[in-house]
Amino acid sequence: MRSMSVVLAVAACLPAQKQDFGEAYSFDERKPKSRVEQTVDELLPSIVKIHGASGLATINAYATGIIVSDRGHILTLDQILLQADRTRVVLYDGSVHDAILYPADERLGVRLLKISPEEVDGELRPLWPPSEEEARYRTGQFVVSLGNCFRLAEFSEKVSATFGVVVGKANTALRYRMADVKYDGDIILTDACNNPGHYGGGLFTLDGRWIGLNMRLLDSKETNTMLSAAIPSRDLLPYLEERVLGKAREEVTTEKVPVWTGIRLFEQAGRRSPPAYVDRVKRGSPGKELGLRIDDLIVRIDDFSIRSCAEFRRVLEKYKPGDTVRVMWKRGTRVMEGEMKLAEEPK
Amino acid sequence: MMLLAAFACLSMQDPMAAVAASEARRVAVIDRCAAAVCSVMSMDSPGGGSGVVFDPMGFVLTNYHVVGEPDKDYAAPEPPDGVDPVEWRAEHLPTGSQHYKNKKVGLPDGRLYEAVVLGIDPGSDLAVLRLLPKEEGQTWPWCDLGDSDELLVGETVFAMGNPFLLATDFTPTVTFGIVSGTHRYQEGQGNRMLVYPDCIQVDAPVNPGNSGGPLFNERGEVVGINGRISIGDRGRVNVGVGFAIASNQIRNFLGDLMAGRHAEHGTLDMSAWFMTSRDGKEHKRGVFVQQTYRDSVVVKAGVGLGDEITRFNGIDVRSANQLATLVGVLPADTWVTMRHRPVLPEGGFGDERQITVKLTALDTGSSRNDETRLASRVDRRIAKDQLVARWLDSDERDVAVAWSRVGPAGEALEAIAHGDRLRLTIGRKVYVRAGGDDGFAIEGGAARDLTLDERERLRRELVANPLLWPRGELAQRLDGALLLGGVHVHGQPAYRFALPGDGDCEAWFFHDGAPAGFAFRDPVRRAHVQWFVRDRQLRVIVDRELEPGWSCGERSTGQPEEQWFKRGS
Repeated sequence: MRSMSVVLAVAACLPAQKQDFGEAYSFDERKPKSRVEQTVDELLPSIVKIHGASGLATINAYATGIIVSDRGHILTLDQILLQADRTRVVLYDGSVHDAILYPADERLGVRLLKISPEEVDGELRPLWPPSEEEARYRTGQFVVSLGNCFRLAEFSEKVSATFGVVVGKANTALRYRMADVKYDGDIILTDACNNPGHYGGGLFTLDGRWIGLNMRLLDSKETNTMLSAAIPSRDLLPYLEERVLGKAREEVTTEKVPVWTGIRLFEQAGRRSPPAYVDRVKRGSPGKELGLRIDDLIVRIDDFSIRSCAEFRRVLEKYKPGDTVRVMWKRGTRVMEGEMKLAEEPK
Repeated sequence: MMLLAAFACLSMQDPMAAVAASEARRVAVIDRCAAAVCSVMSMDSPGGGSGVVFDPMGFVLTNYHVVGEPDKDYAAPEPPDGVDPVEWRAEHLPTGSQHYKNKKVGLPDGRLYEAVVLGIDPGSDLAVLRLLPKEEGQTWPWCDLGDSDELLVGETVFAMGNPFLLATDFTPTVTFGIVSGTHRYQEGQGNRMLVYPDCIQVDAPVNPGNSGGPLFNERGEVVGINGRISIGDRGRVNVGVGFAIASNQIRNFLGDLMAGRHAEHGTLDMSAWFMTSRDGKEHKRGVFVQQTYRDSVVVKAGVGLGDEITRFNGIDVRSANQLATLVGVLPADTWVTMRHRPVLPEGGFGDERQITVKLTALDTGSSRNDETRLASRVDRRIAKDQLVARWLDSDERDVAVAWSRVGPAGEALEAIAHGDRLRLTIGRKVYVRAGGDDGFAIEGGAARDLTLDERERLRRELVANPLLWPRGELAQRLDGALLLGGVHVHGQPAYRFALPGDGDCEAWFFHDGAPAGFAFRDPVRRAHVQWFVRDRQLRVIVDRELEPGWSCGERSTGQPEEQWFKRGS
């Protein structure tokens, strides 16, 4: 009996009432073990949720951003939802902060926001694009994409992580129907899923290097396909260095001289820019030398397909007088091609 | 930095060998798991979903939206000739008004089985079926349920099922991905049906037809049931965002589902928002009560509009979604604790206080009347046998089992049982049942015979209290019992068994076979009494009301001493 009495005596001395019903459902997590788990775990504190203006059913009022400085700079994809006074940033710990907007980079289609670091509990965990050497990516390489797709995470909940490989590198200018992609450099194509809300999040290698900023889904209405893509992080560096580190950009110092072709297109005022039909070609102009005639339809300049008068003008902005471009046009049913040396407008 | 080091370390090995080894492991796990993945179809209409066998006796988990609504034209099978039709019906037919025709279930062995719909959970989109054997004693390959709380974002998972009904020979399609998010709350449809209160978000492709199929972790354990996807604007195809019902949520309802019940979800009848409120001069962010029903359990317990909810069942509440997740995974009638800070009329908040309430049933518009049981007694007996069969891993037979508890007024009860003998000490009185009905009491130093009431009490304690049963005797003690349903005991799911006999007695067990409590009708107090036990926590419910102040001691075992049960001791 003695052994039993000891047990029972201990039992009788227990505190009269335990307060909680025990952990019905624990949110405590185990330690990350695999490479992907560790990478995601390390990166998540640097990813923020962004909430902005909406009002239209077709516009999502949420996106993702990446902390790029301990002074509160946050990089994201430039989207309509980013409106002054209406943009809020939710940090990893669930705290909500008002953000001020920096001017967007028109070419990249990205924008910096800034929150006040004094309001943040603890330290911000900034990421910075790796050096040219380290930012290299290869087709077939495993990647993790982080972002708040479909606004599945609220406040301190973790944003979504998707996994895949780099599918390839592409130039958006080569592709038909990508009018809403501002960025015309090389982009990273990936099968790590990207969805509304994921935009502005990051694409990372398995050892945690930041190689890309998630873009909008590239969408083809013709084939009903969509592609996930990202802007390479090294292309973001000039903008970040200028805005975050205060360095002036080298390329903007030279003054730009517009090119002259002597081609006037047939264009009427209206909502949509019409196809680039030639209306008149000036005598002695590059267009005349190329042999363009009235009613020719210009369809391509170098690697850029031309679907409208507006695109014709936009593509030519990339060149300077003296450059030679390869032009493709349609005359009746024939497709013709030739080289045109761009000139400066005569005074 | 650590990551880079790990990377460098790994890359020193032959990378192809590592990839090949990882692939071989994956192939082996998939090969084993695939055998338990099935296609679930209706008997007479096209379309269907997937499912997974989680028990060798052919119990299958799938989605409620795969089995669909109960059949209106259900015709009960007729009893065979030569048997008592009344008895046969009581044994073989479900009870109540709503029933299902059997389903067709195809397995990768290439055979098509008939399956009975045992239990449904429209509230969070689950159903359990039982395969009917083609030959006597048939068992099936199965996969165990894993621990979904262990899942971490980035962890490798794979989904299996029959998307677009591609496999006509029922070999499942396997898709691979990572956990994209955990503990996601996804709203339901219609009247709070098909809510996914705590789901796993995955980027493994999940498509129509995958519904009801399993999500496996790397070890091949079922950590979820794939049931829905977020879609872009391209129609019902995968965009890399799939959701699986977490296995730990499923376990909370498994008792009810296997016992043929329409599972009911618990609710606080309250909604809360995460927002900013003014606490004195400071702005405070937290979860605040936004709406309640006037007769809500929390209102009765003193919670008011604007109160801050700080803790739920021992967990800090950090967002409204999280609270919805914590409550949403619990069945109706679960006892929970919640802490709140009442909002004061003069502004600010009062001191934190704790309430203990029982969740009421969430009205999904499809709720059971209590008579409905989709499983027959035969089904429930098989379910019971299967659960008990898992627990017979102990040969502790010839040991004494002790259990003690202390009441609110300090009254101490100590019980020691050995076989059919029991010694019960209440304060200074000792009651002994020496085997059979033969017993005695020791009061004031003198022994006397037991009264009828005392005899009955000892008998009931011994028969109904699973805390006094040696583990090795579970099968024997539960002989003739039926699975009654599920119950939530101190945050853990447990199974309720109705014990045979007239006593209205229930014994409760956790998933691993540890005793979880018991219930009985107390003829002396004329009340229905429930004891919830886990570790040293004890709750006593008398006629649906909590009787606070009880605590319990350890259940211990040892060699019995003869003198405990002797009249002279």
